[in-house]
Order: sequence, then structure tokens, then C-alpha cells
Amino acid sequence: MSMLLRQTGILIRVNLLSLPRRLAISLSMALSIALVVCVLAGFLALAKGFERALAGAGSPRVAVVLGGGTQQESGSDIPAEAVRTLQATTGDIGVVRDAAGQLVASREIVVAVDVETAGDEAARTIAVRGMDRAGAAMRDQVALSAGRLFVPGAREIVVGDQLAATLGMTVGRSVRLGAVDWTVVGQFSAHGSAFESEIWADLDAVRAAFDRENAVQSLRLRLMDPSGLGRLQARLATVGTVPLSALSEADLYAAQSGRTARLIRLFAWPLALLMALGATAGALNTMMSSVSDRTVEIATVRALGFRRSAAFVGTWVEALCLAAVGVVLGLVVSWLAFNGWQASTIGANNARLAFQLSVTPDVAVVAGLLGLAIGALGGLVPAFAATRLPLTAALRARG
Amino acid sequence: MTETPDIYIRLESVSKAYRIAGQAIPIFSGLDLAIPRGDFVAVMGPSGSGKSTLLNMLAGIDRPDAGRVRIGTHQLDQMGEAARGAWRAHHMGIVFQFYNLLPMLNAAENVELPLLLKPLSARERRLRVERVLDLVGLSGRERQYPGMMSGGQQQRVGIARAIVADPGLLLCDEPTGDLDRTSADDILEMLQTLNQVLGKTILMVTHDPQAARLAKRTLHLDKGVFVEEARAPR
Repeated sequence: MSMLLRQTGILIRVNLLSLPRRLAISLSMALSIALVVCVLAGFLALAKGFERALAGAGSPRVAVVLGGGTQQESGSDIPAEAVRTLQATTGDIGVVRDAAGQLVASREIVVAVDVETAGDEAARTIAVRGMDRAGAAMRDQVALSAGRLFVPGAREIVVGDQLAATLGMTVGRSVRLGAVDWTVVGQFSAHGSAFESEIWADLDAVRAAFDRENAVQSLRLRLMDPSGLGRLQARLATVGTVPLSALSEADLYAAQSGRTARLIRLFAWPLALLMALGATAGALNTMMSSVSDRTVEIATVRALGFRRSAAFVGTWVEALCLAAVGVVLGLVVSWLAFNGWQASTIGANNARLAFQLSVTPDVAVVAGLLGLAIGALGGLVPAFAATRLPLTAALRARG
Repeated sequence: MTETPDIYIRLESVSKAYRIAGQAIPIFSGLDLAIPRGDFVAVMGPSGSGKSTLLNMLAGIDRPDAGRVRIGTHQLDQMGEAARGAWRAHHMGIVFQFYNLLPMLNAAENVELPLLLKPLSARERRLRVERVLDLVGLSGRERQYPGMMSGGQQQRVGIARAIVADPGLLLCDEPTGDLDRTSADDILEMLQTLNQVLGKTILMVTHDPQAARLAKRTLHLDKGVFVEEARAPR
């Protein structure tokens, strides 16, 4: 075994040291693999960034009650009577109560509003969320980064950092949303999650400004613990005449992110695999050329008594090394080009949702493994060919 | 298998044909050959006479269609490819016309290659490499790469590689075919020393009558048949 390792080791060394003789074609193989890795990593980073933005927004300790049989806030409607009935409920329904015995809850509506921005030719559709004052406190990962929260009843807004940065909605500025002017009184950070793409304001102020009197799309409730959701769902079954459903905030956003991320991956994989097919053919061509270039060397060592398996592994490792160079190059380029890159899409509330592309370790591993697989597959046939070289060539060829 | 005491290489009724465009081109038909241990034989003949095929069969690289090829106690025509490879590693050295050194390995590393097939420690391998490089007059050039050496020096490295594992048989394929006269004479003198001092059995294919004259005997191969045998003057 150690002799086989020594034979393999020396052949790997010989193959790698002879790479400069085949520099151009070897580089082309590495570059084509780098391109595949880059494309796949880019798409996966897009999906990952989107998932992160929404996953970061959801908490398992917050329940979102929706009405009308929908699983999205945009199509939901909860009658005011149902809200009052629920708030009047006594006993343990899995929801935290405040010092006065009231449920810790926030009635909310989301309105998609077009915002004209200076220097930007197209208006952007932004989600304006009206909420009770408890709503902001219910979002654990959100913190004010500038200014203060809105005052109930006032036409004041707090803006997510993502929006503030892209639309210049800094504290003190006046912004026209719909037919009404609003004053930016605060900015909040939500660690890049979907909330940062929203504008928050008082529920009654939003209802009045956008003619949504008495509307409630969702009711957020602070759960005692994640298991409290079951007790809340049981209670909801007995409330009102319209069907009400409750799910954790984490599940609500996971479902939203899952659909879009699946769609992105659905595009990513066929494209990457198609490119990988081409890169594999390129790798095969490169490695066949490598074997051809080393015919005399391979045949010579085999004539000396080296085993076929050493010739096979030596060639295969060369292919894997070139693939590894391509993988590293592809990952470095994709990290530099994509990681942290700002992107946006239309979110579940038909409003702009900003997020950052994330080249995470798992993205790198998946894209890297595809790159290595190209090298492994592309090197397999040439490695086999290396073991089948006619040794008689070694005795006559000019080395 | 018992070894015939005085005969080291024996070919018996060896036949070999190559198929080209569906047609069988016979190279040998019932070829016989017997070479005693310690002999130095030059094989001459025109192109296409079967010299290379003979060498390939003796090296275990090619197999006869019929007949027997026996070297020492080993009947090569009965052995599988892996066994013939292992046999080459332990019993035979090859000297190539174009040296066949690996250009990205230095002289010492090239010479060490056959030793990687033996259960030797790194220190043992280094000592053996130093010894044979000294023997071929290349002491101090261990770190030189083939590209930095003359043809004669490269062939010395080739000879060092062929003898480093201490094989009983050396097969030389036109060892001076790519060298000038002076370098060729040096190499031939070295082969003669290996034969006379170290007792290596040498079979050398050559086109060079001057090279053949240094062998103990010369076999002329023509159309797959030994047509003449000449003893070198002692």
C-alpha cells in the first residue's frame, strides 16, 4: 500500500509540475469551472439572502392571526367584532397579558404605496404598516437606530434602515405617502430582515390616510411560549363568524420565503447544471490533452513497473486540482461580487422587499462541490485512458 | 519452474503477428533464442525486422501469439500484466534511445523511480541513488534537471535508473542512437563495465556497428529470423 502511495504521489507531483506545459488549456478548464461555480453561487446567494431577510423577520413567540382563510396578510381581513371578542377573552389562551390583564396585541394593516424618489425615474412601491403602539415592541430583533417611535394618532412614520438608506428618508424629512404628508420621526434596524423594507405608522393614522376605516388585516399576539399557539388556535375556532387562523410569525415568513427561494433555485440548478455539462466536456478535453501530452512519461513509468492504478489516480488528482483552482476562483469572485449586494423584489404585501445576497458557507459548499464534481467526472475518462496507453510507445517515443 | 543453469533468456518457437487493416502481418514465426546469464548481446537488423517487438516481448510489455518467453525462472508468456509489471520492477532495467527521463524531476528523483516499487526506506533509496549516480560519473549532479544536461549525461541518468534496483537483465533500445560519437563511446564503455564487472546480462538493439562490436556477440535479425550470429573478438 505504501508503495502504491509512493507511486501515486510521485505521479501526482510529475503531473502537477508539468502543468505549465499545458498552461492555456489548464487555465481554460479552471476558468470554465469557476464560471459555473460563480453562477450557481450567485443564484444560491440570492435565494439565501431572500430567505435570511424573511427568516430574520419571524419570531416563534409571536402569533399572527389572519382572517378570511388566507395565509398572507395582504388578503386577510379580521372583523372588528372578532378582535373585540378575542380581546375580551379571559383565561389562558396561550397569549401574554399586560399588567392590566389585557392581551399583548397589535392590530395591523399593510398598505402598498407608491413613493416618488428623487433621481429615480420610477416610483417605488413601499409597504406602509399601520400598527398599535405595542407592535414595535413585539418585534424582538427591531431596535430604533435614530429618532423615536410615532405618536398614536399623529402623521408620523418610522422607517426601516434599508429604506432610509435607499430612499433618503432621514429623520426630520417630510414624505408624501398617498395624499398625505408624513414626518419621518425615527429609523429602525432589524438586522437586514424584511421589516427594514417597511414604513411603520400608527394604525388609526394609516386607516384615515388610506381610507381603510376599521380595517384590520392581522392581529399580532405575544405568545407565552411557542406551544401557546395551539391554545390560541383552539380559542380562535370559537370566535366570530369568519374563519380565523393563527400561525407563528416565523412560519408566516418561512412560507413566504420558501416559495420565492424555491423559484430562484428552480432557475439556478438547471442553468448551473447545463453550464456544468459544458464545463465537464471542457474538462474532459483538457485532461485528454494532458494525458496525450504525458504519453511518454506515463508509458515510461509503467514500463518501469508502476501500476495502472497509480497512473489513474495521478491523472484524476490533476483534474481535481484544476477543478479546485476553479472552485476557489469562482467562490472568491462570487463572494467579492455578490456577498452583501443589495437586491429587492416584490414581497408578499405587493411592496418592495429589500435584501442582501449572502454567499454563506453552505452556498460555498454546494457550489464548490458542483465544481469538484465537474473535475471528477471530466477527469474520469482521461484517467482511465492513461491506464490504457500502449507501453510500446515508451520504448520508441522521444521523451 | 526450474532454471536452466547456463541459459538466462530463452525464446522457444515464438510467433508474433500484427493485424493491420484486418490483415495479419507476421513478425516472428517460430523464433528461438538462448542467451546465457552474463552475456552481452547486440541485436542488429533493418527497420521492420522485429527488433523492437523482440525487445518488447523480453521486457514483458508485449506477449507472443505462440511459443514461450522465459527469463530466469519466470515464464513471461504465462504471466498476467500486473505480474509482468512487478517482474520488470525487480528483475529488469530498460535503457531508452531518447532517455525517457521525466523532465520535471531532477536526476536523483528520476533514478529513484524504480526504487519506489521496492520496500525500501527513504534513506536506503537515497544511498542507492547516490551510489549509482557516482557509478555513472554524475556525482554532484543529483539536483540537475534533464533539461540542464547534455544527451550523454541524460543517458547516464537513464542507465543509473536502469541499474539502481540491481536487476539481472538490462534491455537497451538504441542507447547511443541519439548521441554524438564521443558520448556514445562513453555510454558503450559504461555498458561494457556493467556487463564485465557487475555481471549484468545485456541485450542491446542497435543500428551502430561500432556499438555492436563492443558486445560479446551480435545477432542479426531480418524478417523475423536470426540470420547470422557473430562472436565479438575477445
